[in-house]
Amino acid sequence: MANLKLSHIYKVYENGHKAVNDFSIDIADREFIVFVGPSGCGKSTTLRMIAGLETITAGDLLIGDTLVNDMEPKDRDIAMVFQSYALYPHMTVYENMAFGLRNRKMPEKEIKERVMKAAKILDIEDYLDRKPKAMSGGQRQRVALGRALVRDPKVFLLDEPLSNLDAKLRAAMRTEITALHKSLNTTFIYVTHDQVEAMTMGTRIVVMKLGYVQQIDTPMNLYNEPYNKFVAGFIGTPQMNFFDTTLKREGDKVIVIFQNGDKVAVPYEDVSKIHNRYLGGDVKVTFGIRPEHISVSKEGKGLKFIVTNVERLGSDSIIYGKLGDHLGEFTMKDEGNMIVVKMNDSSNIEVGDVLYAEPNPSKVHFFDAETEITLMSKIPPFNTIEAAVSGDSMTALGKKVALPAAFKAAIGGADRFELVVPPRAIVPGNDFELKVARIEKVDNDRLAYLRNGDSYVFALVGESVREGDTYQFAFENEKLNVTVGGEEVLKAIDDEVSLLGTFSKKELKEGHDRVLHFFYDIGEYSLETSPEQGYKINSIDGDNCYKYTYRYAVNRNAVRIVGDDEPGLNGRVVAFCDYGNIRFAKVEADGQEFLITVDPKFAADKVRVAFNSEDVSVYSTRIDMKIC
Amino acid sequence: MSNILQPKKVKSQSRNRRISLGVTYAILGVMSIIWLIPLIWIVLSAFRCEYQPDGTFIGTVTSNFFPRQFGLENFTKLFSGTYYGVDNAFLKWMLNTLIIAVIDCLISTFLVLSVAYCMSKLKFRLRKPFMNMAMIIGLFPGFMSMIAIYFLLKSIGLTGNPQHPEYSVIGLVLAYSAGAGLGFQIAKGFFDVIPNALVESAKLDGCTNFKIFRRIILPLAKPIIIYQALMSFTGPWMDFIFAKVIIGADNARFWTVSVGLYSMLFGTHPDTNLFTQFAAGCVIVAIPIVTLFMFLQKYYVEGVTAGAVKG
Repeated sequence: MANLKLSHIYKVYENGHKAVNDFSIDIADREFIVFVGPSGCGKSTTLRMIAGLETITAGDLLIGDTLVNDMEPKDRDIAMVFQSYALYPHMTVYENMAFGLRNRKMPEKEIKERVMKAAKILDIEDYLDRKPKAMSGGQRQRVALGRALVRDPKVFLLDEPLSNLDAKLRAAMRTEITALHKSLNTTFIYVTHDQVEAMTMGTRIVVMKLGYVQQIDTPMNLYNEPYNKFVAGFIGTPQMNFFDTTLKREGDKVIVIFQNGDKVAVPYEDVSKIHNRYLGGDVKVTFGIRPEHISVSKEGKGLKFIVTNVERLGSDSIIYGKLGDHLGEFTMKDEGNMIVVKMNDSSNIEVGDVLYAEPNPSKVHFFDAETEITLMSKIPPFNTIEAAVSGDSMTALGKKVALPAAFKAAIGGADRFELVVPPRAIVPGNDFELKVARIEKVDNDRLAYLRNGDSYVFALVGESVREGDTYQFAFENEKLNVTVGGEEVLKAIDDEVSLLGTFSKKELKEGHDRVLHFFYDIGEYSLETSPEQGYKINSIDGDNCYKYTYRYAVNRNAVRIVGDDEPGLNGRVVAFCDYGNIRFAKVEADGQEFLITVDPKFAADKVRVAFNSEDVSVYSTRIDMKIC
Repeated sequence: MSNILQPKKVKSQSRNRRISLGVTYAILGVMSIIWLIPLIWIVLSAFRCEYQPDGTFIGTVTSNFFPRQFGLENFTKLFSGTYYGVDNAFLKWMLNTLIIAVIDCLISTFLVLSVAYCMSKLKFRLRKPFMNMAMIIGLFPGFMSMIAIYFLLKSIGLTGNPQHPEYSVIGLVLAYSAGAGLGFQIAKGFFDVIPNALVESAKLDGCTNFKIFRRIILPLAKPIIIYQALMSFTGPWMDFIFAKVIIGADNARFWTVSVGLYSMLFGTHPDTNLFTQFAAGCVIVAIPIVTLFMFLQKYYVEGVTAGAVKG
């Protein structure tokens, strides 16, 4: 039993193909994690990296508290069940199960006990003398599970173990594996391309596509709150209906306008997390609704469609239909207007019927038409707040506050501008106040809906804030984007300072030994790093690492100004950025510019900065990859 | 003129098939006669037992295809005869060949299967370049390297060693088996069909690569082991050039059968009256190989066709 930590794991093949990109997850002890996605999404590669059957290009893999990146598969204390079962054909079932234990020099008596116990659990006691070829697919699958079971591993890895079984057996084995997980109380990682398996078995699911993690969440959260259109379409059978639409706010309703002119009204309160810029009727939005969240009637309400096919599955039915064109005619021209409805009783519905589909307003989904990311994130990415300039002040949310010098410089002479405020940049303070209309628990955060006229400002608040309170707050100005007429004029300052540099090694004599030392070189600043980091970079890029350029990222708070007696990077202060609550100096050094935090009185024109190597993250500049 | 249309005469399918089969069998028959005649001739010659009117044995090539008399005299003469000053020479040659073949068979089979396993199941940087190199080298006939091998062996005293002529046998075994690993392609094809998941599963079960090879791969590779052993075993029985060069013309005691039989007719002391004994020798040499092929042909076919179709 153990927890697992995958931290920024990458798999890059020699030809440059990235099979897995920046995979990070903390897996708790006894969790049942399912990796799901279409072929080629990197799910099996990730599992094989955990097993030790594939090398990890970059990133850290910890089982328990042990870094296992370079550990042999046999020493990782894991067991794996393969898609093809991988039973040794020349050995009996007993020998198959005992083989791994014998290799570990376990006493024969204990081996027998373990094999018999596993055989009993899996009900294969009668087949122990048989060879795999004399067994059915289901029995072989049990033996494969048994072989993993006898090892009593910390982590079970299962690579599409049910994909070779027929549908009935698959359903039965699904239940058995879930029961096995419950009885063993061990961490399970299960790979499948079948979303039904993922939904029914996993405590958490990792949805992957083209090597990227799309979303990590519980089955029901994936179903109810998909992060993007891919997850929405992948989870759920039949898949979610998608339509190209625009949205227009009308009072307390948002009108969804379909391409053919059909309209559906949704209460604003149900979709209040959608940013106002999508509600003007001029931005394309993908509207998503699951087939089971549509009700059908023969009366004239909702989306008019013609039934093209009815699949009666016994307990329920799937109705396939086609929306009409803008004249209400049903033609074969446009393939983007298919609709699928799942319903219990379809006895009075026939092909050719004209029906009306009404989406359940509380179950609708909206996605940005270009990025395909949901417009209803659990925590909205940002609020847009209008501000008016008057002298050295600005008025926003009905309050007049000081206009930070950085904002003033960025907006030029404009008298109005917009602040793009992430909820995390709203902190308790005295600048603004709004009434808390609602509080929603989102994972470990509390999201407050702050009433601002007829819409909301979203903020993350502490436990003491209650619904109905007046919440007093301020902005962390450096974390805001500033736009004028929708055009970005000032970007939020991120938490990291990024500097380009090279990597070097020196062999130094220490006593009788010659010891390798590794350095991050940025201009004349040579910062020694630990041998572990040095060898890690060397193992990823080989000896080319001494020729390549790397991006060194340091948390801004970890960058300190030092005196001439300490090693550091000499720079010239070219400007100051005053955000009111915080002040930055723009430093030019080694041909690169970066911001450092300085106190309000700092006025020097030259500066020497330094940081510790353990605060540095190293990124490859050839491919988008964090190395260490 | 009758209004009734006469059905057009068409050749039946079975008739076409019969004609096609007839032609095929005729061609195959002629080809098999061409191939079998030399074989039959050798076998008939081996059992030819004819005498001159003066009572001397006719051991030469004769104009009559079928012997006028049959007998085993050629075989008795062959086994008891003294050739090139060596008593019971043929038996000694047979024994030499058997020893060389068995040792070569063991070494070559192990080398070929090991290399094939590495090429099929291990992933390492120079794998592909090595396979390409092996294929290109394999395109050249083996005897191209003969002179180099001769001088290499001579420099370490394993050929042309007047004090220890028997070392030439070791030299010959080395020459046969040292390069065997390059002929890994067929065995690799067989191993490629064994799922990688088995190897990976064994790795998770705590096996080293050698243990995987020994405990997992070899038990599943019976056909290819037999095929490879057969190939390695028959090599020395059939090879003439290397045996002739490495053992040398003077060490008749250590010749292999092919060199010995050749020398009976075309060597330094050729004797045309030994032709029928030569033929008997050919028949004797063929017996172990034919027997092995007959008993192991099932595995041989499995081995040689392994990897041809996905199993």
